[in-house]
Amino acid sequence: MNKPTQVKLTEIARIFFVLGLQSFGGGSSTLILIRQTCLQRGWMEEGEFVRTWALVQMAPGINLLKLTALIGHKLRGWTGLAAAMSGLLLPSALVTVLMTAGYSAVRDQPAVQAALKGLLPATIGLSLMMSLQMAHPLLKKAYAESPLRLTANLVILGSAGLLFALLNASPMAVLLGGGAAGVLLFAIVPARARTRSVPADHKDLP
Amino acid sequence: MNLLDFFWMFLKGSLFSTGGMGNLPFLHNDLIGLGLAQESDFVKAIAVGQLSPGPSGLWSISLGYLVYGWAGAGLALVALTLPTLLIVGVQAIYSQIEKHPMTQNFSTGLALSIIGLSFAVTASLVNASIADIGGVLIAAGAMALGLSKKAPIVVILLLSAAAGVVIYGR
Repeated sequence: MNKPTQVKLTEIARIFFVLGLQSFGGGSSTLILIRQTCLQRGWMEEGEFVRTWALVQMAPGINLLKLTALIGHKLRGWTGLAAAMSGLLLPSALVTVLMTAGYSAVRDQPAVQAALKGLLPATIGLSLMMSLQMAHPLLKKAYAESPLRLTANLVILGSAGLLFALLNASPMAVLLGGGAAGVLLFAIVPARARTRSVPADHKDLP
Repeated sequence: MNLLDFFWMFLKGSLFSTGGMGNLPFLHNDLIGLGLAQESDFVKAIAVGQLSPGPSGLWSISLGYLVYGWAGAGLALVALTLPTLLIVGVQAIYSQIEKHPMTQNFSTGLALSIIGLSFAVTASLVNASIADIGGVLIAAGAMALGLSKKAPIVVILLLSAAAGVVIYGR
């Protein structure tokens, strides 16, 4: 794993610059690309990424920018934060303005419309993939602990999704509720260790 | 209206809301109320935000441009960026309490909830994103290719855009 201090500022800016330009198809693809970059470069493991993504929902502003800020900050402090954010923002902001200026020209391009009709379903498929991959290590750990513990995990995960989807609850309220449910449920349902250690070949793929 | 008022409208919107669209009601209220923007500007800006690379929350930059030109876009960019710096403080506080055993259960509950949210958000986008069987196939293909780890995400996005042009481009 890379020591955070080994990442050069120019490297951080370059990576986020390329990432910002590649992420067509809205914020979903930006998130998927940031996650992939973090995991592949060893900047964060899955658990830390998921916790960070949850944490950023609890403060004001655009979630993906807060995520970028925290990754940059983790790698190189405030200068890393500045490098990551300007890398992500400057090209994307410029393209956004240019597209606004040429909106009617862009919108009426049949090829753009058609490409978008292919891109949007792909971001759905990739988001589903990402959600499954994020859930996998947590549920596997719970499965190793006890069936009840696994159930408790699934209850929290499912209720969070349903509260948001059906009752339109605010993400921050859902997350705080989920955290509280974790404190409560995991106190009632202790991890009765089945002492079944996870075999080495079951380790998560990077 | 001077630029400072303009900047404050955008800053206020981002400072007192979360997520990319949270500032919409603030900006809608202020800008429409003062007659500085039309409904159509909002529709256009949000569409551009979804079309352009990067977070869709950058739609405010598009709106800033429509209202006040390049200066408006620049001010909107700064107004969007400043409040996000607060997260560094939030994380510092959180990491202080993170070691407590109770916080670890809280943190697990938090992680499970964000994953639940992530599924729900994806589901909520299905109707707007997938129109027909072609869309379903592209979504399934992208997911399969992603899970197989055979192709980088960018390649999958490019392939799906190309598939869109082939299927729908006539």
